[in-house]
Amino acid sequence: MSADLLALLLPLAIAVPLVAGLLSLLGPLRPHALSLLPLAPVPGLLAALLVPRHTSFEAPDLLIGVRLALDDNGAMFLAMASLLWIAAGFYARSYLRRSDHQPRFAAFWCLTLAGNLGVFLAGDVATFYAAFACVSLAAYPLIAHERSAEALRAGRVYIVLAVVGETCLLLGFMMAATSAGSLLVPEIRQALPGAPHPNLTIALLLAGFGIKAGLVPLHLWLPLAHPAAPTPASAALSGAIVKAGIYGLIQFLPEGAGPALWSDVIVAAGLVTAYSGVAVGLTQSHPKVVLAYSTISQMGVIVAVIGTSLGHDPAPGTLASASFYALHHGLAKGALFLGVGVIAASGPKVVRSVMIVMALVGLGVAGLPLTGGALAKLAIKGSFAALPLHLVTLSAVGTTLLVLRFLIVVRATAAAEPEARPEAGLLWPWLATAAFALAVPWLLFAAATGEALSYPLKPENLWSALWPVLAGGILAIVAARVMRLEPPNVPEGDLVVPLGRLTDGLVRLVATLPPLRLPIGGGWKRPGMVGDGLLKVESALTRWPAAGLVLLLFMLGAAATSGGLR
Amino acid sequence: MSGIMPALLMLCPLVPAVLTFFLREDSHRLRNAVAIGSALLKLALIAVVLLGVAAGNEYELRIPLVPGLYMLLRVDELSLLFITLSSFLWLVTTVYAIAYLGGHENLSRFFGFFNLCVAATTGIALSGSLVTFFFFYELLTLSTWPLVVHNGDEKSLSAGRTYLAYTMGGSAALLLGIVWAEGVAGPVEFIAPLDFEDTGTLAQRLIFVLCVGGMGVKAALIPLHGWLPTAMVAPAPVSALLHAVAVVKAGAFGIIRFIHDVYGIARVEELALGLPLALIASATIIYGSVRALQQTDIKRRLAFSTVSQVSYIVLGASLAGPIAAIGGLVHLVHQGLMKVTLFFAAGALAERIEVRSVDQLDGAGRRMPLTMVAFSLAALGMIGVPPLAGFMSKWFIGVGALEAGRGWVILVLAGSSLLNAAYFLPLIYRAWFKPAPEGAVSAGAERPLALILPAVVTAISVLGAGVLAGLWISPLGWATLIVEREYLP
Repeated sequence: MSADLLALLLPLAIAVPLVAGLLSLLGPLRPHALSLLPLAPVPGLLAALLVPRHTSFEAPDLLIGVRLALDDNGAMFLAMASLLWIAAGFYARSYLRRSDHQPRFAAFWCLTLAGNLGVFLAGDVATFYAAFACVSLAAYPLIAHERSAEALRAGRVYIVLAVVGETCLLLGFMMAATSAGSLLVPEIRQALPGAPHPNLTIALLLAGFGIKAGLVPLHLWLPLAHPAAPTPASAALSGAIVKAGIYGLIQFLPEGAGPALWSDVIVAAGLVTAYSGVAVGLTQSHPKVVLAYSTISQMGVIVAVIGTSLGHDPAPGTLASASFYALHHGLAKGALFLGVGVIAASGPKVVRSVMIVMALVGLGVAGLPLTGGALAKLAIKGSFAALPLHLVTLSAVGTTLLVLRFLIVVRATAAAEPEARPEAGLLWPWLATAAFALAVPWLLFAAATGEALSYPLKPENLWSALWPVLAGGILAIVAARVMRLEPPNVPEGDLVVPLGRLTDGLVRLVATLPPLRLPIGGGWKRPGMVGDGLLKVESALTRWPAAGLVLLLFMLGAAATSGGLR
Repeated sequence: MSGIMPALLMLCPLVPAVLTFFLREDSHRLRNAVAIGSALLKLALIAVVLLGVAAGNEYELRIPLVPGLYMLLRVDELSLLFITLSSFLWLVTTVYAIAYLGGHENLSRFFGFFNLCVAATTGIALSGSLVTFFFFYELLTLSTWPLVVHNGDEKSLSAGRTYLAYTMGGSAALLLGIVWAEGVAGPVEFIAPLDFEDTGTLAQRLIFVLCVGGMGVKAALIPLHGWLPTAMVAPAPVSALLHAVAVVKAGAFGIIRFIHDVYGIARVEELALGLPLALIASATIIYGSVRALQQTDIKRRLAFSTVSQVSYIVLGASLAGPIAAIGGLVHLVHQGLMKVTLFFAAGALAERIEVRSVDQLDGAGRRMPLTMVAFSLAALGMIGVPPLAGFMSKWFIGVGALEAGRGWVILVLAGSSLLNAAYFLPLIYRAWFKPAPEGAVSAGAERPLALILPAVVTAISVLGAGVLAGLWISPLGWATLIVEREYLP
């Protein structure tokens, strides 16, 4: 196929989900709305696989000139997201088969998908912002789908943070685009360090993207939204949607040219996020909440990697390794979330095999040798200098603990009936995603890092991947069996409760500001002598011939006066 | 030839206005046919003129009134922006009003003044000189008053009194300003900025304050906005027209005309008048949003939202830069499309399912899905969610402010966006995510279609104006053309 035709896959990757969303609401496909879900991301996947890099597509009539482009990092995100959305789409068909409001769910699913893939394809800032807003806002109905009190509360926290995040981004984008004198993302990024207020701009972008990516303390929505959303939506949320924030940081933060301070600040913020995600996650007992904190922690690691790319003379391929890490995390976390539903449907006979796969994928996130996760961890190591490197390596111990915590709490949710088996519609999408998580990084490792496949098999690399997992395992056994530690009880979404009180107070304050009004008109309401007369005149005027006559007189008068003034 | 077009455009609403006054109350069909027919005809004429102006043609008509006084009607790019909006909304509002007022009384009076009000708006758009502008500006005041008090009850009459008190005061100031300006600089036509050579800067500033302050009443700048929330007692089609195109827009349009074509942006900056105006507009934006947040009546909330949103237009015009000017101009159209949709929907909700306050909205999405989809789209557009129309306005005003060295404006935009979200999102949430109250009737709520479809049509235009903003014929494309022709003569 010619390159021109292939370039059409870029707009199709966004347009097909949009059309699918529309079709699921209208017309004869309405009863089969869920069947559209696995098909909608297919053009996105094809685009990631087939379209040559640095292809672009332009539609100057749309928005303020839409430009779609695909680069290496974008393709990595696009491929991961499309794969995950396809699998989650199949899963949703089974999972939501008996649910109410399927067409509505399908429509917002497709809208979220379109925005999500659009973020990875956007080549100009307006398209990027539109796609980002689309994924942010359209995810709300997915989170609140169940309409339960928890779902609505999670939705409220989510939407408040999302709107604040959007606003920060809008400001950051306006400032960045104005100083760059261009709408194109690469040019904006290049001009950012020389902008009039680079610190403010970077802070705004970091806040906007950080909210989506779950950067502590902007992570509040994640631990509430994930358990509230239907399981396939949680998978997409944690696997793909959160990555939109990561991709934004990759696209807009100036590589190798950031103001010196920012590199350190972002690395530190990432590490704080990585560790606090583990710390709070260990106290949780709902499997999806534990996974949500694991996502927060892992996003912290990626943000730290991105942070190093801002410093002068960053290690080559830093951003590619961050994308690679994100690719693995997206697939692995997607598989773990989908697995939560599989385990709930598995009786004693099958649950053991299911748990083995879950353990393999889960410990992969901690970097278990030979899994895709080990490759991801290996890829990012080159980015860090001494201290952060040790901290990142050490965080894998925490991740191991967190994964074990997850495995324990999720095991307890298995079905009780001895014969219970997950249906094929849940089982296969989950297995496929798990297989992708384990295998896809092997396929892309060489391309992403430039290292040969024998590199991760070197003994020292195998050992450096293995010891944190071993250490974590031993720690877990010591804590649970020997010391019989019970985790303290921290509410889901930790800081939401005190912060919620603060914002409620703020809203109440705004609601009581007094009105400002000139005293015009008020005095007329008390009819006195003059007032009575005016009322009579007025009621006479309401009969239209009188009003018309007065109007005519006035027009003549106005013409005459302005004539006289000349 | 070139004079015929302005005349035809002017007569298009004026003739039906006069005819309608003399129609019998029960000749509904004829009255409706006259109204819709002339609206369609006018849109067709505008299409011709649009193409002509884009190609560089000029249309001008001078009508001598008394010696030394003439009316000047001229079609330029700016007038077309306004007149296209007003004609499109005239058509949909007429359809809506026919359905809304179906069995009411005094329909000939209503539609007569309704058409007269559109004639006045057309005149304002086409005015080529300050005197002509003032004439139509007053005609507008007088033709809208009977619409505001249409219901005839004490509340309406009281609102009408407030309306007249405010607008007459504003007009007096405007008239004084115009007379003064003409006194020192001769007849003012909207071609080139005024020649103020022999006039002191104080006089120049005072004239500006008188004129912009006078028009600021209609544009509802604080503290001159008091009439607007009160006037929403009028029937929904009137509110829609008043808020979207007729009165507040006449004020905003007048201010744009005055800044661009009477003083010129350069002089406004020279006299240090841009910054105070931008500050007033910003204060209005925030104040209107805060007050909107406090309202529980849907129409009142929308009314304060108008106070806030119309000031975007003034803000864009006051920032003294081409990009911000585009933002202000395009918001003239975008705000109209969004606000008319919101009022159509609010009227339909009140009329069909008795939903008037925010807490009655629960489950309205299920009961009136088309209406609420339209409402939601327009509300999201107001917040500035891309790719809807409101985003384009915000983007251009924000970028324009930064370019003009007034970075603080983007904080106003951000604050307003957050407040907009705070007062619109709960409405959307209630309508779609809360269950309808027990015993709520929804069968047949979305009838007649003439009451529902206008909101749908304008909501689609909100989407279209944003998504297809890159087309030359889009509001944004046209606003860009206006500014290009002004800045690059």
